[in-house]
Amino acid sequence: MSRMKSLWRNLVHRDRVERDLDDEVRAAVDELVSEKIRAGERPEDARRAAMLEIGGVEALKERVRDVRAGALMDELLQDVRYATRLLRRNPLFALTAAISLAIGIGATTTIFTVANGLLLRATEGVSAPDGLVDIVRTEPRSGPGITQISYPDLLEIRRRTVTLENVFGYQLQPRPVSMRIGGQGASSAFVSVVTTNYFSALGVTAAPGRLFGAADDDRPGASPVAVLSHGFWTRRFQADPAVIGQVVGLNDEALTVVGVAREGFRGTSVVAPDLWLPTSMIGVVESQRGERLLTTREAPWLMLGGRLKAGVSRARASAEIATIGQALELEAPTPPLGGPFNAPPGSGMVDVAARVFLWSAEVASPIPAGMRLIVAGFLGLLMVLVSLVLVIACANVAGVLLARAAERRREIAVRVAIGAGRARLVRQLLTETMLLFLLGGAAGLLLARGMTSMLVALLPAFPVPVSLSLPLDVRVMAFSVGVSLLAAALSGLAPALHASKADVVSALKDEAPGASDRLRLRYGFVVAQVAFSLLLVIMTGLLAQTFDRVTAAGRGFDPTNVDVASVDLSMAGYTEVTGREFARTLVERVRAIPAVEEATLADRAPEPGSRSFGFLTVPGATPSDGQPFFFANWTLVEPGYFSTLRIPLTAGRDFTARDSAGAQPVAIVSRSTAEEFWPGEDALGKNVVARFGNPTGPNPLPAVTFEIVGIVRDLTFGGPSDRALYIPFQQRYMSTLTVLARSSGDRRVMADLRAALTTMDPNMPVLSARTLESQLSGPVETQLRVAAAVAGSVGLVGLLLAAVGVYGVTALVLRHSMILVAIGTAVGLTLGAGAGRLLAASRFGTPAGDPLVFAAATLLFAAAGFIACYVPVRRATRINAMEALRYE
Amino acid sequence: MPMPRNRESLLQGTLDLLILKALVSGELHGLGVSRRIDRMTGGTFVVQPGSLFPALHRLEEAGWLASSWGPSENNRRAKYYRLTKAGTRQLGEEVALWNRITVAMARALEA
Repeated sequence: MSRMKSLWRNLVHRDRVERDLDDEVRAAVDELVSEKIRAGERPEDARRAAMLEIGGVEALKERVRDVRAGALMDELLQDVRYATRLLRRNPLFALTAAISLAIGIGATTTIFTVANGLLLRATEGVSAPDGLVDIVRTEPRSGPGITQISYPDLLEIRRRTVTLENVFGYQLQPRPVSMRIGGQGASSAFVSVVTTNYFSALGVTAAPGRLFGAADDDRPGASPVAVLSHGFWTRRFQADPAVIGQVVGLNDEALTVVGVAREGFRGTSVVAPDLWLPTSMIGVVESQRGERLLTTREAPWLMLGGRLKAGVSRARASAEIATIGQALELEAPTPPLGGPFNAPPGSGMVDVAARVFLWSAEVASPIPAGMRLIVAGFLGLLMVLVSLVLVIACANVAGVLLARAAERRREIAVRVAIGAGRARLVRQLLTETMLLFLLGGAAGLLLARGMTSMLVALLPAFPVPVSLSLPLDVRVMAFSVGVSLLAAALSGLAPALHASKADVVSALKDEAPGASDRLRLRYGFVVAQVAFSLLLVIMTGLLAQTFDRVTAAGRGFDPTNVDVASVDLSMAGYTEVTGREFARTLVERVRAIPAVEEATLADRAPEPGSRSFGFLTVPGATPSDGQPFFFANWTLVEPGYFSTLRIPLTAGRDFTARDSAGAQPVAIVSRSTAEEFWPGEDALGKNVVARFGNPTGPNPLPAVTFEIVGIVRDLTFGGPSDRALYIPFQQRYMSTLTVLARSSGDRRVMADLRAALTTMDPNMPVLSARTLESQLSGPVETQLRVAAAVAGSVGLVGLLLAAVGVYGVTALVLRHSMILVAIGTAVGLTLGAGAGRLLAASRFGTPAGDPLVFAAATLLFAAAGFIACYVPVRRATRINAMEALRYE
Repeated sequence: MPMPRNRESLLQGTLDLLILKALVSGELHGLGVSRRIDRMTGGTFVVQPGSLFPALHRLEEAGWLASSWGPSENNRRAKYYRLTKAGTRQLGEEVALWNRITVAMARALEA
């Protein structure tokens, strides 16, 4: 009989095989007995001797089963059946264990889903994503950031590479443009300029119409065509196929819509464009330097990607790109951006002379290579938080399994007595745990779906259309199953090993040696649970506190009830003179809106990370870093800016209508700037000399001397404050304009701001209209908000799980529970202090050892621990003495 | 589970050979194989059922033995084993191997 046939027979015709084995063994026993009787033994003695010789019918059968084909699989099936029966018999245990595991596994899977979607896979909607790579140029010395590539470099790479085909380029950040169709007013849309092979390289097809291709030309202005995103087509044109062939005006250029990209494709970054234009139409979004962008290396503006040729590894392509990139940098070094001065500290720039660019080919993902480290670090922090929950859940389940192993000691001893091997028992106990964890894992995967959308909902409204594609793909499934099995092995192994060590004789006699060993293990689980949940609660507290500090007290201004709307005057053709006039009229109109208490204008709203650097010299002060200029963050404002935002004026005066174009240039500085420039002196009446544009560049603008007329409080965004300088809008023009209006009470005036702007000029698209608070949600604050929310919810779950665990152990051993909780708390506090230091070192600037957080967390724990201990103790003291005696 | 040490440990590797040899003269049930080996070796090797039955099943699954059911002496259903063609071939190979080993061992011990 062949091995395969045996396997089939053993697994499929199990019952017959088992019956045959039983018959065979019993026949042998009978044979032995009659043999011994024939030899003259008494029948009882003969039977006993026969049994002794056989070594037990069941044990013998077990030994035969062990050599049979498919023995392992057979046992596994048996174990699974047995485990299912056990779990059904203890539904409460099965349910709580599966739920806590589901939460732990679901949470880790959620974070992995985000990491997978953002970092590990190409964006959705492209075909054969594994062959796609990002061609990346980085400047490692300037830290994380995005370095783009010029169009001539793209052409050179396309020409030189032998490992890649279909090298394409695209604009990472879609640009807002004003769009007009037929006789309607202007609206805004987001446009990304891409090379004509973009869609074919990605394998994206057209829904109706056609995409860019051979018919389109890269020469400037040659192909006035546009492709719509499926979302925009549905939203804006109600999916009307008649739009194809129609002419739309984008920033006053006429383009023909030639097609719609297929549904599901939303571009190659996390920001989804509404329309794509070919490189020849770069002039639409870059009116000043459009054509130059196609010929110069000085202004890089593209992200690059390509496809690996058949049989080429990414490593080989990366090595080739590194060589080509190096050659390109040597052949035509990128001219310095800012002239021969050193980079301002904190500006995110790097000294020109020290810039070294590295080129490589990376796994294609929606997050550009330079930002991956930051995103990965943040996701890592979240992963640590949610992993703690999983660890707590595991410790919990392990503790319960251990307790159940104690209850099942007799059953296990019986199985050992009738001949079950130890390995077999361990395997069987582990199967039960695995089953539990796979149940938890499956539920976790379902939970992850919901949690992922919840996490996305935590993100603030961005001023651009953000598209996150976070699919639950094979990798996520594999991760979730892997985590479940790993967790099961970790938490099931110790109890299983322990239980299988059961000493047959004493177990059957109902004695309990080895119990102290088991208790020690159990104590360990409780200590771990308490320690890790305390750590979780401490981290939650620290993050929540940092979040508070960043959002509320620390800003130095009050964004509540302030709404903002932004336009770019150049989009509707305004000049410096007409733009100033427009600004003055606009602010009058907004102030006339009934719900508006105060209104003002600025070139931009105060926002973390948003800076305009100006070059300053200050008579009597020299920069401490030995550079020729002070770098200051300047903001153009209209009168009323400080009172609208509740920024206190500590000395001097606000700007007035008299600070106009022809009058003496005036400026207001922040308090820390005043102290730096004129320490111990009165800053009012002093002068600063500002140069706008690069003073060492080819066309330096004339320097302007500003007289300081006021000092205001510093603005902070959770970090050190900038050197801030405010200048009247009427004395210095910018085409970007933001109107800020403080409304009374709960009434929001975003719609009124939008209406005022549209009434004044229907041809000028409103770029955004929203609350200032939503605009303030910069990346750091967004990350903190997400981290605090995640930590808060998992912290609560962890606390509950720990309480359940403490309750469980207290019910078992009353004496030690408080001591265990105390030890766990001590360990947790130590871990918490370490975590605090780590968080403090991170970019969030969390306070390291805030005693308040630690004290509050410990108190919370003491309370939870007390309740968890109190209930079983109370129950224990109520035991009826007679019942206890009768039990003995 | 602790197993009593017995002489079967001597048979490591030779148990298969003995079983195959015992079945050359015709089919036997499990205990019959054990008795035949006992007689063949003059009582030197006593194969305990705990080793015998697993070995029989292993050899059967390897295709060297075939089995059929017949009545036992006590009128129960008993399983009778017999050599297959492959089993006979295997026996030849094992005998040759064994002869080489004994010759080598004898030479080694005389030297």
